[in-house]
Amino acid sequence: MWLALVAACIFVIARTQFSTDLAAFLPRSPTPAQQMLVDELRDGVVSRLTLVGIEGAPQDRLAAVSRGLAARLEHDARFAHVANGAQDRLRVDGEFLLRNRYLLSGAVAPERFSVTGLRAALERQLDLLGSPASMLVGPLLPRDPTGEFLRLLEQLREEGGPDKRGDVWFSRDGSRALLLAQTRAPGFDLDAQEQAHAAIRTAFEQAVHEQRADSARLLVSGPGVFAVRSRAGIKQDALRFSLIATVLVSAGLLIAYRSVRVLALTLVPVASGVLAGIAAVSLGFGSVHGVTLGFGATLIGEAVDYAIYLFTNTAPGSPPQAALKRIWPTLRLGVLTSVLGCAAMLFSGFPGLAQLGLFSIAGLVTAAAVTRWVLPELVPRGYSVRAVGTLAPVLLRLIARGRALRVPLIGIVLVLAVWLTLQGATPWNDDLSGLSPVSASDQRMDEALRSDLGAPDVRQLVVVTGDSEQAALETAERVGVVLAGLQSAGVLAGYDSPAHYLPSVAAQRARQRAIPDAEKLRRDLAKAAEGLPFRAGVFTPFVEEAQAAKRQPALVRADLQGTALALKLEALLVQRRAQWFAMLPLRGVTDTVALEQQIERFGPQGVVLLDLKRESDALYQGYLARVLQFALFGAAAIVLLLAAALRSLRRSWEVLAPLTAAVIVTVAILIAGGDRLNIFHVVALLLVIGVGSNYTLFFERRNMANAIPERTVTSLLLCNLSTVIGFGVIGFASTPVLSAIGSTVAIGAFLSLVFAAILTGRSETKEKS
Amino acid sequence: MTSGPIRRHRAEAAVAALIFIAGLLGGACSWAQEPAAGWSLEKLMRDLSQVRSSKARFVERKYLKVLNAPLELRGTLTYSAPGRLEKRTHSPRPETLTLDGDKLTIENPARRESRSLRLQDYPVLRAFVESIRSTLSGDIQALERFYRVDLEGGPAQWRLYLVPRDKEMRTVISLIRIGGSRDRVDLIEVHEANGDRSVMRVYGEDR
Repeated sequence: MWLALVAACIFVIARTQFSTDLAAFLPRSPTPAQQMLVDELRDGVVSRLTLVGIEGAPQDRLAAVSRGLAARLEHDARFAHVANGAQDRLRVDGEFLLRNRYLLSGAVAPERFSVTGLRAALERQLDLLGSPASMLVGPLLPRDPTGEFLRLLEQLREEGGPDKRGDVWFSRDGSRALLLAQTRAPGFDLDAQEQAHAAIRTAFEQAVHEQRADSARLLVSGPGVFAVRSRAGIKQDALRFSLIATVLVSAGLLIAYRSVRVLALTLVPVASGVLAGIAAVSLGFGSVHGVTLGFGATLIGEAVDYAIYLFTNTAPGSPPQAALKRIWPTLRLGVLTSVLGCAAMLFSGFPGLAQLGLFSIAGLVTAAAVTRWVLPELVPRGYSVRAVGTLAPVLLRLIARGRALRVPLIGIVLVLAVWLTLQGATPWNDDLSGLSPVSASDQRMDEALRSDLGAPDVRQLVVVTGDSEQAALETAERVGVVLAGLQSAGVLAGYDSPAHYLPSVAAQRARQRAIPDAEKLRRDLAKAAEGLPFRAGVFTPFVEEAQAAKRQPALVRADLQGTALALKLEALLVQRRAQWFAMLPLRGVTDTVALEQQIERFGPQGVVLLDLKRESDALYQGYLARVLQFALFGAAAIVLLLAAALRSLRRSWEVLAPLTAAVIVTVAILIAGGDRLNIFHVVALLLVIGVGSNYTLFFERRNMANAIPERTVTSLLLCNLSTVIGFGVIGFASTPVLSAIGSTVAIGAFLSLVFAAILTGRSETKEKS
Repeated sequence: MTSGPIRRHRAEAAVAALIFIAGLLGGACSWAQEPAAGWSLEKLMRDLSQVRSSKARFVERKYLKVLNAPLELRGTLTYSAPGRLEKRTHSPRPETLTLDGDKLTIENPARRESRSLRLQDYPVLRAFVESIRSTLSGDIQALERFYRVDLEGGPAQWRLYLVPRDKEMRTVISLIRIGGSRDRVDLIEVHEANGDRSVMRVYGEDR
């Protein structure tokens, strides 16, 4: 039956999809604004952006490589847009703006074409002609005396932006050429992202070869790059470190067991547990997250214990069933304790954590069941662990001496508990990025490239929701009027809007209506130009083009195709689940209160002001608070279970005291070591309680009295060694998630055993020795 | 949700478009005559580079095709080595242009406007501005980076002919003529590719 189950698991796993989308670890039902944020992180334009740096060669070589790279990527269908500062490639945008200026410009209104409006425009043009800008505006004046084109340029202009050497973007110190590439595939499509990055690398190598800039190095960063890299990292880390851990643990056990067969048997419950875990998650969720898988490797630490307890407690000459009978009640309680801890995760409401919970529960239950019903049949007749004879006396002596440490230990734990309370919230990592599986060095490189590119850090934006594209644009235009007012009042430095790139059809029609017919325009223009030195008839092109604009069909999204405006629009106007969202990023907000008051009036129309930092912090903190809450529920459930099973407050206390002490001291060590705690630490602490409860249960007096102390202490030592080795190794992984879990469990498990020996092991060792 | 570089790019592209349109007209012409013996561009530039600061009045006449009469502007020019230049127009309308390093600031008190540009984003403007600034600071390398430079005349009365090296730039400006005597600049003439031209005379320099 067991074999059939294993086969079924393998069958399910073979069809399982594995994902590394970090969003799985984000809450399932946040506010609509947060949902949009999460969606943007997953597949928004931002998620498609790849930042490229080229360094390590003379400046002119770097610029040449940048041009060569851009030229190649531009013809690659995998990229929607490539930019490196060279401007001749985007000339088409200018022509688009010029051609459609009367539909695009928000200044086009009836007053603009009245005699007074035209007079003001002409006077302004005269001013410009006196400045060096005349070189730029002069040639356009006959076509555009009201300056709509310049106004559009102005609107598109923004402070900052990367420096240039020649015509190519460079970092401020000139050591690094910069390029931006936007993939067509969304950021969460990791296979497509991987291909796109391979394409960048190949194009780079070709460009380097062509330019003979062999020393040039390529730096790539961005959400897609990170996702691909962390998938590879997690896979590699999980594989490599669980292999190392398995080898080390096996070596240790082999020395203790002196039997390859028994060693192999130890791994049977572990392997069955991992298989059952993956299969259960795959069936329950449809796919298995990379982090779950990484965590699964760590399950070795706990499941391996079950077999160790069984083998080590098997006395010479007696069958394993006898040992099982002795230890099974305690083991069962231990398994139940762990399952309760994990159940907290299962019901937490976060898909990622729920996966971890389900994985652990299925894995642990399977491993325990295999130990109970399958393993005893497979143990060689008359087998017994020899190391017991040499190790046990030493251990028992140590435990007896540990008693003296009891008071100092309690003192230290109390001091640390007070210290932790005083720390307040500071040791918590309050940043969503704390969850990121991206290594610190990659994050630093990303920051460097971003600051080189001068990408403005958008913190606040107004989000407009609409039932249709036009509805969203029309509301965005109404909000834009208010924002423009706030801008002149100095409340904000500027804002952007999708309606700048694609005005609503209604707005375009209104602008067309604002243009007077040819005869009136000609007459009013002549009146406005009276007394000004403009040559007669010079504005004929203007009258003609304005009339053409009056009749031209309204612009739609497709008209923007091929311009960089289309990309901008795509970023600012998105459709999600039948809803349209228009985003209006704000710059330099000085008075948030005034801004909020104005935007609140639009509330009923589906308009919200979003503070990205505040929102993502709230998202994370809400998340953290809920995980903590569920962890506490789990802990409470464990306390109740133990109290019910042991039917004695004193006995429960003896089991729980060392665990509590271990958790407190572990957290203190982590914080003192400079770690900022995140959700994965909480999960790891739950695991500490799961593993540690086995130790303390076995140490607890009644259980110890029923057992053979020599065998019990030896089995505990072996279990602990395997856990500390297994998790300690994972603590060195470069993926933050894995290293957090690894180091926390290694420290916590070790402390649990030592504290159990000191706090609980006292009375019976005295009695027995 | 936005990215500055992309948007910035667009503005540049649009300016490039402007330049492109401007360049649909016009071509370039070339001037050259040998300077006086025993005197050279290097010597002139060295003399100019000795000047630490200067201030002068100017009268600028702009002959533009769109206007039926030349535009006349009056004001003062202030220069301090190596990179700061201020052009303060008094009439017909007050306006101040300040060039400091890479930053060009235009202030119009009547409209209560002030805007700054980074020259690197406007290559044509930058090349134009460098023609004057590099001449004043005697920076021969900067000048030759943007222009083919020819010198005519002698120390007492010299003329620099600057023809843009960049093809794109030549579609806007065909020639800049800077004239002076010893280490003083007294004439800046700009010939645009479309036939427009401006002539600025600089008077009464006092140090």
